[in-house]
Amino acid sequence: MIVLISGGGRTGTQLATLLILQNHDVRLIEYRSEIMTRLHKDLPTEAIYEGYPTDPKVLELAGIQQANIFVACMPNDEENLATCYLARTLYQVPRIIARVNNPRNAWLFDDKFHVDVALDQADVFASLIEEEMSLGDMMTLLKLRRGEYSLVEEKVPAGAKAAGVAIKDLSLPEECIIAGVIRDGKLILPRGITILEPGDEILAITDRRGAGQLASLLASTTENQP
Amino acid sequence: MNFIIVGCGRLGAELAYRLYSQGNQVTIIDRNPLAFNNLDPTFSGRTIEGEALNKAILQRAGAEHADGLAAVTNSDTLNAVVAHAVRMEFRVPQIYVRNYDPYWRPLHEAFGLHMVSSSSWGAQRIEELLYHAEIRTVFSAGNGEVDVYEFTIPAAWIGHLLSELISDIQCLPVAITRAGRSSLTSPDMILQQDDILSISATLQGIQSIRQRLMSLKEA
Repeated sequence: MIVLISGGGRTGTQLATLLILQNHDVRLIEYRSEIMTRLHKDLPTEAIYEGYPTDPKVLELAGIQQANIFVACMPNDEENLATCYLARTLYQVPRIIARVNNPRNAWLFDDKFHVDVALDQADVFASLIEEEMSLGDMMTLLKLRRGEYSLVEEKVPAGAKAAGVAIKDLSLPEECIIAGVIRDGKLILPRGITILEPGDEILAITDRRGAGQLASLLASTTENQP
Repeated sequence: MNFIIVGCGRLGAELAYRLYSQGNQVTIIDRNPLAFNNLDPTFSGRTIEGEALNKAILQRAGAEHADGLAAVTNSDTLNAVVAHAVRMEFRVPQIYVRNYDPYWRPLHEAFGLHMVSSSSWGAQRIEELLYHAEIRTVFSAGNGEVDVYEFTIPAAWIGHLLSELISDIQCLPVAITRAGRSSLTSPDMILQQDDILSISATLQGIQSIRQRLMSLKEA
């Protein structure tokens, strides 16, 4: 795949390195002279294109016409937005991903500037930490729909509210479904009448709110007492 | 009318003051509070310190009901992005951007924004004056791609048909002023002494006229 990246800061360089290892054709655009020396140490010279990513001449030199993906990683939101807009309107790049630097500007990273996927680092980080803090022993196995839903796993501890209760009586939130129960090393496909036992491992698909409620049903009640 | 100006540098401050002194409601945004020192002390429109890409700031500036917005910072990228964001989100009827560095003109063109290229416009005016003082620019269309010029015809043109003299596709005669009265031109018009000719022309077109006037002078 041909991947064009603007910005050779930490994110851009890390991404380029990773993709080169996977044998993708990576072209990285950067103009900040203070970064250039480091960049030449980290990446092969043929992957580096010197110039402004908002300059169509530079984009064309880097081969944007053939790019399958464009990733905007500059530390400045207006530059990322302008480049995404050019990548689609002038060059029809099929997939455009952009980094949001200032969460206050996140509202612009959508169809307005032809951004297909916006990664708000502050937001992603904050919600990861928040999840770690609130969900106790729950483990996230997989993120679905850009992190809106997750496949999570958690053990039913002895004394949990959910232990000894049938799934249908758990009063699970709307956006949460128990997809599997692992008992004695075997996967049981759960039904409404399946009664959860201590030691069961629950696999559930849930949104963030549902995950919080599920976590409280699976919390060991002894732990919660002061 | 309600106007929003993004960027309180020299151009922004001057524009804000002009609009304000004509009785308009003016709000000017800049990320640097010191920039507001550029404003005339009698300006009492609103100043907002903040990032113009922040939706809350734009709303506070009244983007929902604004009659016009001008993005005139010294960053071409920021001007284009602010203007496009406002166009998509708030439907402000009139949006103009300043093209600060002529190098970035294609960026504004890609966004399809109305722009004023202050630096190239000024440079072109001065360039023309330096070449030839007799030809005056009287009107400038767009960003100076086509201008209307006027000059007094040289003696060598007296008695000739207008159509023999101006036949370049880059120039179009628009009016002739004879004894203080102007009239529209026609190809069969015969030029007389002291006629002042107004023509619209591209830079290329006016250069060929200049060269001809120059060679007449030398002859």
